[in-house]
Amino acid sequence: MSLDVLSLKIEFGGGLELLFSNQRSHNVTIPSKVRRDDSTSLLPLEDGIETKPADITYLIHHLRDHLLKERSELFIENKTVRPGILVLVNDTDWELEGEGDYALRNGDEIVFISTLHGG
Amino acid sequence: MSSCGNPNVEGDSLMPKRPKYDRSKACVKCKLNTGNIVIRHAVYCKECFFPLISIRFRRTLESHVNPTPQLHRRKGLKASGNLLVGFSGGLGSSVLLDLIYKTYLTPNERQEGDQNPNGGCPWPNVFVASVDISGALNAAPTSSNINFQQVVESYSSNFKCISLKLEDAFDLIWWKEIGGYESQTRGFDIVNEEILLRALSDDSSSPAEYLRTYISSLPTSTAVANGIQNLIRMLLLYTAASKRCSHLLLGTSLTSLSISLISSISQGGGYSVKEEAYEEWSYRKNQETINQSVRVIRPLRDLGTKECAFWAWWCRLKIVRKHRYLGGRQDIAALTRDFIVGLEKDYPSTVSAIARTCSKLTTKEDSDAKCLMCGRPVQAGIQDWKHKISIRSYSDVNTDDELPQHVRRPPEAPQSQDIRAFDAITSRLCYACHTTWTSKGIRGGTTKGTDIPAPVWVNAHPTNGELWTRKRLGVEEMHAAIADSLLDP
Repeated sequence: MSLDVLSLKIEFGGGLELLFSNQRSHNVTIPSKVRRDDSTSLLPLEDGIETKPADITYLIHHLRDHLLKERSELFIENKTVRPGILVLVNDTDWELEGEGDYALRNGDEIVFISTLHGG
Repeated sequence: MSSCGNPNVEGDSLMPKRPKYDRSKACVKCKLNTGNIVIRHAVYCKECFFPLISIRFRRTLESHVNPTPQLHRRKGLKASGNLLVGFSGGLGSSVLLDLIYKTYLTPNERQEGDQNPNGGCPWPNVFVASVDISGALNAAPTSSNINFQQVVESYSSNFKCISLKLEDAFDLIWWKEIGGYESQTRGFDIVNEEILLRALSDDSSSPAEYLRTYISSLPTSTAVANGIQNLIRMLLLYTAASKRCSHLLLGTSLTSLSISLISSISQGGGYSVKEEAYEEWSYRKNQETINQSVRVIRPLRDLGTKECAFWAWWCRLKIVRKHRYLGGRQDIAALTRDFIVGLEKDYPSTVSAIARTCSKLTTKEDSDAKCLMCGRPVQAGIQDWKHKISIRSYSDVNTDDELPQHVRRPPEAPQSQDIRAFDAITSRLCYACHTTWTSKGIRGGTTKGTDIPAPVWVNAHPTNGELWTRKRLGVEEMHAAIADSLLDP
């Protein structure tokens, strides 16, 4: 049985939490099917709109639109995370999981670590 | 998907994105576990990651610990002095401190293949120094400076904290405390082509005021960022010397090293490209006859920021410095960082290639002369070369006011001037430091400072009067100087 929503645990590290209310850990709920253009409108999907399973690219847009407090350019660039931000999917480098194309599952833990803040 | 054509016209123009790892998702080391991290196209599991990083750290560091490499094989690791760790509270230095602690101060966690069979720490004392740069930013000390001591003390009582301030570079009391040569408060006259070093018109300001004048006199945002880096580096080196340290360790990762190499070369520091990666800085303390040296080592230079960030995350390290010093978004160092970090995302091996290529570079000839400002080698004849490639004649311009400052006539030194009151130091600056001070700002102007406080080490002159001085000789003085060579009439 497929769920309508996915519950995810999101963590920020390396100073990235400063952009998200200075809070390292967040619980986020997102729809399991989302618009293909990664639009994060909370309105119900209408017939004829192209959809896809929620992936990390969508999650990045969702975090920007609903959780980020300031300076989105420090988090997102060209529809993905800014260079210098590392992403872990369930404790594994997202490069092993298909990066932004990874289809999210209920209970996934996604970590965003900035290497740009400290030095 | 990545584009290789116009997807709106050609249906097949999108090709699948290549994975960032070479073969499979299995760890290339143990070949059993599923990988957790991709390091320059190679996949490693979490279990193999920790020994991999530890071995790379030790391999880079341990060949430089003993005074001579031969001693290393026979007797294990034994340094000739203490250790100073430069700690900014950022990612690299936090990982460095953690690795030092786990490798040398907790013997239970030592790995197989350890090259230090006697165990223990190779250094009798380990100092950890942090430099507070809030004085340069005209701000109150940040919380990271307050947290620094807590982080260091949370590791071990074996770490001894040293708190430095950037304004110490202008503080004669600090200079005296660390046992520096006798110094005095003097300043630069940058307007003069020879860059004169002479008494300040107002020598009653505080070190913090001197620092702010110094920073505000630098002509460009690139020069400001570079100037602050140089002050931090020199403060750490002189602190290492005062604590009898044989080694100064910095948390420069492979990515940071590649950034600093490209940035330094583009600012005129090509002659000291070797020193960016490894440096042996020699000094002589008061009343000593033998030169001592401090080895500046960057043990993380084989580890990218990605490996450092994973190490910090998996070890749950506390990164206290969350803000990077913003010298400006458009200075050369910041632009280089943006470029290299972007490059690393898609081409991680290219960033590694920068550092490895630079490590093969060497200068045509060595230089014994050291720059007064940064302590790095001064290329012989560099000013002559600079003169040859510069426009030196403005014959069609009549007044000094219309001339660029670097070609205006220098003020003549008074005949009876004290030798110490008027030192020309252009020839004792490296190309990079000279360029830092004389480069044009964004609006085309150079710095107009004639009364810029100089760091204490620039003013500290060895008692044998090594500073070169130019002064105009009278006819009688010239006659006396060559009297022995003159034939009697």
